Amino acid sequence: MARSFYPPEAFSPRPSQFFLLPFRFTRFNDQELLVNEAGEFLLAPKGTARGLVDGTIDTTSALYKDLKAKHFAYDDTSSPLLDVLATKIRTKYDHLDGGTKLHIFVVTLRCEHSCHYCQVSRQTASKDEFDMSRETADRSISLMFDSPASHVTLELQGGEPLLAFEMIQYIVSGAKEQAEVRRKTLNLVVTTNLACATDEMLLYFRDEGVKVSTSLDGPAFLHNKNRPRPGNDSYERAIDGIERSRVILGYDNVAALMTTTSTSLDHVKEIIDEYVRREFHTIFLRPISPYGFAVKTKTRTGYEIEKFLDFYKQGLSYILEINRSGYRLSEIYAQILLSKILTPHGTGYVDLQSPAGEAWNVLVYNYNGDVFASDESRMLAEMQDWTFRLGNVHRDTRHSLFTSEAALNMFEASCNQSLAGCSDCAFQPYCGADPIYHHATQGDMYGHRPTSGFCTRNMEVIKHLFSFIEKDDPLTMGIFWSWLTGGPVPTEGLQCA
Amino acid sequence: MRLTTAGSAWNFAGEIVGRLTADNLPQPVRGEYIRFFGQGAAQVGDLAGYRAVLSHDDFLTDLPKVDRLRESDHFRSADVVVLDGATGFVRSLYRPYEQHHSLFVTERCSSNCLMCSQPPKDKDDVETLATRNRELIKLIDPALPYLTITGGEPTLLGDHLFRLIDQLKTSLPNTELHILTNGRTFAWPGYAQRLAALNHPNLCLGVPLYSDFPGEHDYVVQAKGAFDQTVAGLHQAARNGIRVEIRIVLHRLTIPRLVRLAEFIYRNLSFVEHVALMGLEYVGYTPRNIGELWIDPFDYQSELEKTVRYLSVRNLSVSIYNHQLCILRPSLWQYARKSISDWKNIYLTECQSCGVLEECGGLFKWGVKKHSEYIHALPHSS
Amino acid sequence: MEQQRESSLPHKTTASLRISNEVVSVDALLKTCYWFSRDFFCDVQKDGPGFSLVSLKRKDSSPIQMEELRDTFMNHALDFALRERVTAKTADIRDILLAKAFSESGVLEDRPEGVFGDPIEEAKSDGMFKILGNS
Repeated sequence: MARSFYPPEAFSPRPSQFFLLPFRFTRFNDQELLVNEAGEFLLAPKGTARGLVDGTIDTTSALYKDLKAKHFAYDDTSSPLLDVLATKIRTKYDHLDGGTKLHIFVVTLRCEHSCHYCQVSRQTASKDEFDMSRETADRSISLMFDSPASHVTLELQGGEPLLAFEMIQYIVSGAKEQAEVRRKTLNLVVTTNLACATDEMLLYFRDEGVKVSTSLDGPAFLHNKNRPRPGNDSYERAIDGIERSRVILGYDNVAALMTTTSTSLDHVKEIIDEYVRREFHTIFLRPISPYGFAVKTKTRTGYEIEKFLDFYKQGLSYILEINRSGYRLSEIYAQILLSKILTPHGTGYVDLQSPAGEAWNVLVYNYNGDVFASDESRMLAEMQDWTFRLGNVHRDTRHSLFTSEAALNMFEASCNQSLAGCSDCAFQPYCGADPIYHHATQGDMYGHRPTSGFCTRNMEVIKHLFSFIEKDDPLTMGIFWSWLTGGPVPTEGLQCA
Repeated sequence: MRLTTAGSAWNFAGEIVGRLTADNLPQPVRGEYIRFFGQGAAQVGDLAGYRAVLSHDDFLTDLPKVDRLRESDHFRSADVVVLDGATGFVRSLYRPYEQHHSLFVTERCSSNCLMCSQPPKDKDDVETLATRNRELIKLIDPALPYLTITGGEPTLLGDHLFRLIDQLKTSLPNTELHILTNGRTFAWPGYAQRLAALNHPNLCLGVPLYSDFPGEHDYVVQAKGAFDQTVAGLHQAARNGIRVEIRIVLHRLTIPRLVRLAEFIYRNLSFVEHVALMGLEYVGYTPRNIGELWIDPFDYQSELEKTVRYLSVRNLSVSIYNHQLCILRPSLWQYARKSISDWKNIYLTECQSCGVLEECGGLFKWGVKKHSEYIHALPHSS
Repeated sequence: MEQQRESSLPHKTTASLRISNEVVSVDALLKTCYWFSRDFFCDVQKDGPGFSLVSLKRKDSSPIQMEELRDTFMNHALDFALRERVTAKTADIRDILLAKAFSESGVLEDRPEGVFGDPIEEAKSDGMFKILGNS
């Protein structure tokens, strides 16, 4: 005897009321943008937030079904699937798993460049004064492996680390030995201007599996202006270094980052063209660092943020054009934000995490053993501001570093969930907290959101990306997705899939 | 291609599973075989050691036998069949030359989908089928790459399913198993763990999901709470390292929210390794409910394309099953698979002149009664 | 709702809004003022039982014109009032969600609800699955 069939009402009776799950919202163009606790968003008609709170949304409407499916509302006709939502939230906090993953070793402060934005380098100094000692290196390596993370990245920095090449060799060898003993996976990167990179050094990096990260600020005139050195040939040496590194280490093991200065702001297309000319497929349109000399002239901040935003938007537009022509070029800042907005995954980018990535996810071991929560906090120390010095490798353990006053003060201001202005912000899951930035620019770790460059910049870029999402042009979104998945770039004429 | 026939059963009770042979075999190897005699075949007397005799014509023997078959021209040597001593039914279980193979484990089900191609029967057939399948597995070629376990709802077998999988792990260690299940049982604590504990190296669940809105899914599968259980079950499976694929049957009730369902899968079931978008089969319950279910596949190409693009751009593997190439937009051809089991696969007369006949998966044999109005031969060009 | 006072003529740089706290609480007003503090000097005072008086004085840097100030401020204030209501309605379930998110997997799992659906299994007294809820 076959079973009976029941009508739809038996399975979705009209609920007498519905309940809310946590969400934030903001007005967005003619609509509203609602964002749930796991960072999923819904672009909805104006008045949806009010309708949710007042209980007036029609429970038979397609909008209600969307709100239910996306975890904004639930009723007693089905489970709110709290465990599923909790799992999604947990995934977004993946970056907390395992402790500090990035460990920056400042092997020397010596450098032959005199870049405007750098606070730390010493041009004429002896090895003993500003190089990391073996004792400091040993202690730092030991502390690095005290991190619970099973995969750690050791980044060799400076000054110009290649000037202390023997120390690099000492550290690499010591770290690899310890990695085996402590059963951890070790990734190695050297951040260098490549100006004095010999083939021997590059071969060494190849053989030891050390990746190279260098600076390319743009075409020659810009790069050399930003990065003066004797002979004024920083650019030429960088290009030469990149080419040789690619040959010796392989294309995939050489990356370039740009530093944005106020000069850069007028030349975004030229910078991008330079990256294409040099066959790079990623570019990071980073904000201007507020540290060092820039901090001392605070009045320029608002104007510079505006200029940066123009620079960024123009740059992104030009980059999309380049992608449309078939050349893959992903912009990292957009990619990080889009990953947070469009995918269920967490992010590993320390500058946009909450709790803030500083200390949690990155530690800086200075040449003298001082331990800082980030590279920026090391720069503050150069100006005698020790707020973010967590301790010293010769005195501290990982535990004492993380329970130091500096650390505890910083952690309090590290979660945007509880910061004024952030706690209600619709973009909270996509943004982060940066107590060090706010301390440096506003004199207060917590920061004042309405006048914060960090806030303005992130909010504007996030809104800009949402305008692409709202428009939903298949080609543009296809390009963004190719960045997120590493898949092929779609081109004009390829209509689907 | 015929699956069942019947004749007169003699000399045995219960079921006998065996591999057919139309040739005389030396005695030592006869143990797994059923000696088959087609229409007009010469009968032989030396039959000791065979499991049974299967004959189109009358046949005299003391061995277990089914003779006077209604049909027998669908049998070939190496087919594995089951003979029923009570009814004389002869069912083909496994034909080596086919592309698709499955183990049928029960007609019981905890859902009652409006478009079910194998409507549930509330009789407990678990023991009988478990025994039958245990014998069948012994006769399947271990080189078989892929085997589907289906029903009804396989998880209703309880321990029998675990034993079955265990047996497959030993007898067919290189065969990938695909278990078609509604996933609901996995919501119960411990079930997923027990399955995972079997440690089968190559197992995947195929789980249907029909909407992102619980009421709509529950209506399609005719079971209250099914959506919640399925989603919870999928999570439990994933947490225990069990691979999962989602299957969506496309019809008028599932098309309207199809893209939203893809979104739901991407955000909430991100561990899913594949999504199968399947055409409706006009069999089982479907004809009875066709008024509610029917939409010409040609008319939902827009939603289908959007959904496929949504998933593929996010790097989720997606396939289209049971659709003919002439009604699919060309951009979707790369996702279409030849998915219809051999025994139910046909092409229409107009298909014979089609330029892409070789690549096209064709129709279900019951599709002659109900299919898209837009089926037509494509020119011989691309 | 709110009574508006005539003190926001175009050439002026100050405005006052008298707002009922039933419509927008003091906290929500303070939050609104927090955001306006980039472009305005803000002050919130009690103005009789259940009312607040918000005073805004324009800074030169503000892109907001005085004519639109009242509406802009109220829009934002009403949004903050709405957010307060959302928080009030969802605080408890948010705690549960976060507890689940950060607990060891399985500790806070909800049991599945609904019927099982297979009459044979349901009829067994020693059935494989206990029916936990009902529709």
